[in-house]
Amino acid sequence: MKKSKMQILKNGILNENPTFRLLLGMCPTLAVTTAAMNGLGMGLSTTVVLIGSNVVISALRKVIPDAIRIPAFIVIIASFVTIVQMILEAYVPSLYAALGMYIPLIVVNCIILGRAEAFAYTNTPGDSFFDGLGMGLGFTLALTLLASIREIIGAGTFFGISLFGSGYEPALLVIMPAGGFVVFGLLLGLINMLTNKYEAKAKAEGDKLAEEVK
Amino acid sequence: MHYLLLLISGIFVHNFILSRFLGICPFLGVSKQISTSVGMGAAVTFVMAMASAITYVVQYSILVPLHLEYLQTITFILVIATLVQLVEMVIKKMSPTLYDALGVFLPLITTNCAVLGVALLNVQYGYNFLESVVFGIAGALGFMLAIVLFAGIREQLELSPIPKALDGFPIALITAGLMSIAFLGFSGML
Amino acid sequence: MADKEKNTIDWGYVFKVGLILFVITLICTLLLAITNSATAPIIAKQLEETSKQAQKEVLPEATDFKAMDTVDEIAQNVGESIIANIYVGTKNGETIGYAVETKPSGYGGEIDMLTGISTDGKITGVKILSQSETAGLGAKSTEPAFYEQYTGLDALKEVTVIKSGSVNGNQIMAITGATITSNAVTTGVNAAEKAVQYITTEGTQVMETTGATGSAQ
Repeated sequence: MKKSKMQILKNGILNENPTFRLLLGMCPTLAVTTAAMNGLGMGLSTTVVLIGSNVVISALRKVIPDAIRIPAFIVIIASFVTIVQMILEAYVPSLYAALGMYIPLIVVNCIILGRAEAFAYTNTPGDSFFDGLGMGLGFTLALTLLASIREIIGAGTFFGISLFGSGYEPALLVIMPAGGFVVFGLLLGLINMLTNKYEAKAKAEGDKLAEEVK
Repeated sequence: MHYLLLLISGIFVHNFILSRFLGICPFLGVSKQISTSVGMGAAVTFVMAMASAITYVVQYSILVPLHLEYLQTITFILVIATLVQLVEMVIKKMSPTLYDALGVFLPLITTNCAVLGVALLNVQYGYNFLESVVFGIAGALGFMLAIVLFAGIREQLELSPIPKALDGFPIALITAGLMSIAFLGFSGML
Repeated sequence: MADKEKNTIDWGYVFKVGLILFVITLICTLLLAITNSATAPIIAKQLEETSKQAQKEVLPEATDFKAMDTVDEIAQNVGESIIANIYVGTKNGETIGYAVETKPSGYGGEIDMLTGISTDGKITGVKILSQSETAGLGAKSTEPAFYEQYTGLDALKEVTVIKSGSVNGNQIMAITGATITSNAVTTGVNAAEKAVQYITTEGTQVMETTGATGSAQ
């Protein structure tokens, strides 16, 4: 069955959200989500790389022989990452400084190699563009959500704006690595709970509908 | 003494997984059993030590003299990918038993961000050759320690009643969080 | 299977595949070189502007800054290898102070910082240029509440760190839970003081010591 562009987009953001459903790209997810701005910046940088690598790999899918596809993918992805890195350093130095080492590490983000292998290598550039956009936005959404929660609880601010006044004593642990694991685990549990409820409800409404949800 | 401190700092205080968030994918993916996690840890240790040494040579005898620092990411990842392939082939030829034990983990190491991470950190911290290798080994041993401990806990978790929504990854992440808090205790050591 | 593969290596195929990979890598490298040449000047300008702005911030009185080329020699003579750069701040052609860049080791790695010291022996400002300290703890060193403590202190005496009580004299209050970071920044400031004293007295006067910096936690 051929999916429409909108379906591909929605698939990336919701049904197969890379962070919450596929659990890919965990390192940046946990490492940079100490402030909402960083989460958003990381998400958008990854989206740009993902769209670029998806489109190029898809366009070259008939040229790249099967045997060397992995090194070829890695070279293409690494190039896009380096270009994004240089542009960030030139035009958004504050974000560049905040994300630091995690920008070059986008190369080894499993989402990008995963989508190249699972989608771009077998689909048209047009479809691959929307797959990259959908997956990228899904990743951005997840990162921003997680970062917002951690920033609000752990620092009492949202996008750098103080929320609770000076009387608020921030729960530092949430910003620290340990908090990253725990907050993400709880968030994932919450999402699982909601999905389970949704799926159970759908099941009750008939097998046909349940089939579609899956 | 300096190298010993570097080793301790890499393993406990700045543990790659629990305080730097590098190598989370295999940490969550290959930690269901102690035996497989030991295999993964050993393979990563070998590749990280080698990668630290080779990327050091690449950085300071090719990239810096030619002013090609902007090709750092692309060359490092290619070095690592080639290294992983090479290691895989050598082990396959030399010791089929070891290959049977480690084989499945080797391709996964290319996308283990701890390996690229250690290469980038070596450059960022300006370590010399020996320091880079020691730091690579320390990071890898820290990775191994965390993943083996984690696998031990997860084997126990399998037998415990857990709310359905938290089953699997969520509870694993929360467990990792608690381990990270425990490792915070080491921060006073240095 | 393995033996058969070994005997029949298809060199034509190997060559073709190798060539394709080579061409892809070549094109990618070319694209990177182009991007690099386009962004490198902007990045360099950005860095210089940030650096100028930081120098102005720690030594507000000065209008012009010039890097000293004898910095390595000075660092060696005062025995502080963490001194990276020294900028002479002038106003109407007259030297009024120095901005010293130091790189002490903090908890999460090197802290790159700038200390402004006036010729009349006062610390005029401290600024953290880059750091990788723990968010919410050591990273608080970038907040004015911490680094403004140094402003106005006596640059002829060593600055010390206290963890509790109230500051008097040449002391600063450590960031709660981040003693290592506070000590590191103070180490940077003290090294800058030594360098400036060396420059102004040409090494004839040794700095007065008021005891060791607070011990690491």
